[in-house]
Amino acid sequence: MKFGGIRSIRPEKLRILLAPLAIFLCLLVVVSVAVPQFLHGGGPSIIAQQATPILLIALAQCVVLQVSSIDLSNASMALLCAILSAETLGPLGIASPCLCVGVVTLIGMLNGAVLTFTQIPSFALTLGTLGILQAACLVITGANVVYVTSHLELVSWLFHVQILTLPIAFWLSVLCAVLLWAFIRFTATGQGLMAIGFNERASILSGLPVRRLKITAFGLSGFLAGLAGLSVIAISGAASSYGLGSDLLVPGIAAALAGGTAITGGVCNPINVVFGALFVALIPVGSAAIGVSTQAQSIVYGAVLIVAVAATASRSRTGIIK
Amino acid sequence: MTTAAGQTASGREPGANRPPVLELNGITKSFGPLVAVDNLSLVIGPNEVVGLLGENGAGKSTLLKILTGVHQPDKGSITVNGKKVTLRNPQEANAAGIGIVHQEQSLFTNLSVAENIVMGLSKQGARSTRFGLYRWGQVNRDAAAILARIGSRIDPRTKMSDLSFAHRQMVEIGRTIEIARETTRALDASDADHGTPLVILDEPTSVLERNETEILEREIRKLKDVGSVIFVSHRLEEVLRICDRLVVMRHGRLVADRPVGNITEDELFELMIGQGARSQAPASAKADAPAKAVLTVDSLSRRHTFHDVSFTVFQGRVTAIVGTVGSGREDVCRAIFGAEAFDGGTITVDGAPVRGWSVRKAIAAGIGYLPSERGVESVVGGLSAARNLTLTYPDKARAGALLSPALRNRLANLWFERLDVRPRDIGLELERFSGGNQQKVALAKWLIAGDLKVLILDHPLRGLDPGASAAVNELIREACRGGAAFILLADTLEEALDLGDEILVMRDGCVTARFDMAREHPTSLDLLEKMV
Repeated sequence: MKFGGIRSIRPEKLRILLAPLAIFLCLLVVVSVAVPQFLHGGGPSIIAQQATPILLIALAQCVVLQVSSIDLSNASMALLCAILSAETLGPLGIASPCLCVGVVTLIGMLNGAVLTFTQIPSFALTLGTLGILQAACLVITGANVVYVTSHLELVSWLFHVQILTLPIAFWLSVLCAVLLWAFIRFTATGQGLMAIGFNERASILSGLPVRRLKITAFGLSGFLAGLAGLSVIAISGAASSYGLGSDLLVPGIAAALAGGTAITGGVCNPINVVFGALFVALIPVGSAAIGVSTQAQSIVYGAVLIVAVAATASRSRTGIIK
Repeated sequence: MTTAAGQTASGREPGANRPPVLELNGITKSFGPLVAVDNLSLVIGPNEVVGLLGENGAGKSTLLKILTGVHQPDKGSITVNGKKVTLRNPQEANAAGIGIVHQEQSLFTNLSVAENIVMGLSKQGARSTRFGLYRWGQVNRDAAAILARIGSRIDPRTKMSDLSFAHRQMVEIGRTIEIARETTRALDASDADHGTPLVILDEPTSVLERNETEILEREIRKLKDVGSVIFVSHRLEEVLRICDRLVVMRHGRLVADRPVGNITEDELFELMIGQGARSQAPASAKADAPAKAVLTVDSLSRRHTFHDVSFTVFQGRVTAIVGTVGSGREDVCRAIFGAEAFDGGTITVDGAPVRGWSVRKAIAAGIGYLPSERGVESVVGGLSAARNLTLTYPDKARAGALLSPALRNRLANLWFERLDVRPRDIGLELERFSGGNQQKVALAKWLIAGDLKVLILDHPLRGLDPGASAAVNELIREACRGGAAFILLADTLEEALDLGDEILVMRDGCVTARFDMAREHPTSLDLLEKMV
């Protein structure tokens, strides 16, 4: 084969890299045109606030998707963390967030351990964990709302302090995305996570510590879910099984997929997941601002999601899509 | 097979007034800046067996994909049996009379052998169902008969995924041969001229042992009576034996188109890679000084698979293990690497017997393993070649706690130069490289360790073109001179005799013979005797 000599970026790669940002900007433009005061009336700040827990769950999910598994329980881990924080922030003060995030990280690692030692498919396993955690949340709260009794200021500053009109919590979660990106690309562990997602057998025969890596992936999922739970408490000062933060699973998966994460594993770009989370958050906010009814919002949501995944799926790799 | 009157067994006049089966004119296909096929023109007449040769990366697979409708050429025309055609997909290629047996198997692994064979066979297919329901008895009987014809005793009810790679290849061959025979029968039976079919065999013999190849050759000769064949293979002596005409591709172009006549293997080799004749294996100049034993296997056993296997691997030496499918040699090697269990005997590395063996412990002890099925077990396709290279020993490209892209790229470029990997794009995903180049990177992955004690090579030259094979052979010799030890599971007996310092012969799980190449000079026949 003759070779052109110039290492050009394949058009498909470029499309996948830029699509989530492009889609978000398009949607933003649409909303700003329809509602001229959106940009100046605090619209972006609301989007950023909504997007923060979604982004953190999406990051949690994309780490697990990268190793060709799925974690259906990370949203309930977030809720559990929120509920535990609500209960313990008053009595324990600053130790509370650390403890709660620690607890759900351990639960995540337990998921990973059970997965690797029993070979139960992650879908089934985490569905089970989801059920257990949801029940735990109900039992702890007694199906009531739990309010933070004191020390709320330890976490609420995350959403009161603003940089460039956006809450600092949002910027911190973007920082998480950047750190995750660097972790995957520049550490041996991150490289291992990529390898497992693409070809687990070859990874085993190349000497990668596959068990340890999977437990790490699920542990990270738990950790990031814990951070999402903290952000829920920071926003609302309360937690319940039915309130804010109880329905993060589907938006999280949607944001991860729209951010170009392949459901087959191996590919995960945390930076793009930021834009995925932004437009998943934008849709309900923007639709409400334009005046689209809540029922119709689901249609918009679904349509945009399909477009986003179509734009970011790498068809040259997977060939046949199921 | 021709009768005295010069007619073929089917009763038709050979060649003469029939149009060429295939006529390609100025076919060009590019993928971005890569020109895969460059202004290629070729004519294949009826009843011809044409060998298609070329190194991996020469453009052969792209050409075959164009012929089977997977790709469309950017320029040029395709004429089949006198009619100009556009082949937009494999179904249209089939309808035009072009069929292919793939190198990478296209069988359904979740179905049984019988189901795989019967699918796509119209006659067997018609007999296989009654009122829409499968008649399993009939299906299994038909499949068993087809397999028996090629000398295989695989149970047709076996699930494809339970078969070894070599057995699966036999099933694929059986299926193709049956399709060919059906075509033969159909054309014999009818008077109408359906046009001559073209069957493409893409490296069908790369996993076959010698006796299995002969069966295939017989069927190809029969096929020749009623159709034409394009035969792609890297085994030069086989191509010279089976084909009427040879066509050589290099860098996307056709560089030779000649009748087989008087070409020698060396001439062929030169045409393919454009260099001088391949170097002869240097006479073994290994010192007689006692070498250090790095690995000892003592009475190693695993129930039903291998039994009482003992041998020692020495520094700077190659231990070759030969045997047919089912001899257990692959399982012994995987047990040494910790990839499979063993339930009897010991493995001793550097004097210390191993306990609780695993892949990671084996690698830590200095053992490496290059699997035979590289797509499934060796190549992490979605990662770049550079990352694949540093996958097992990431410390070679580390700066502190983080991986260093600069170090990784430098290392990759070094090895790309050394092994002549093409294209020279270390950031390209490894799955986009041709098979031979993937294998070079997979091998380099182990060699970057520098202090590897034993490297186990499981069919390392499988599917490699002669140029790549020569490069890999040279690498093995060089590594030996540097003190590395190898356990080699060769594809051919010639390979084992060429490289091995000690040859072990296995049959049905036991070691049946041992040859010390410094003192004895066995021939292929001597080895074969002990193998079967």
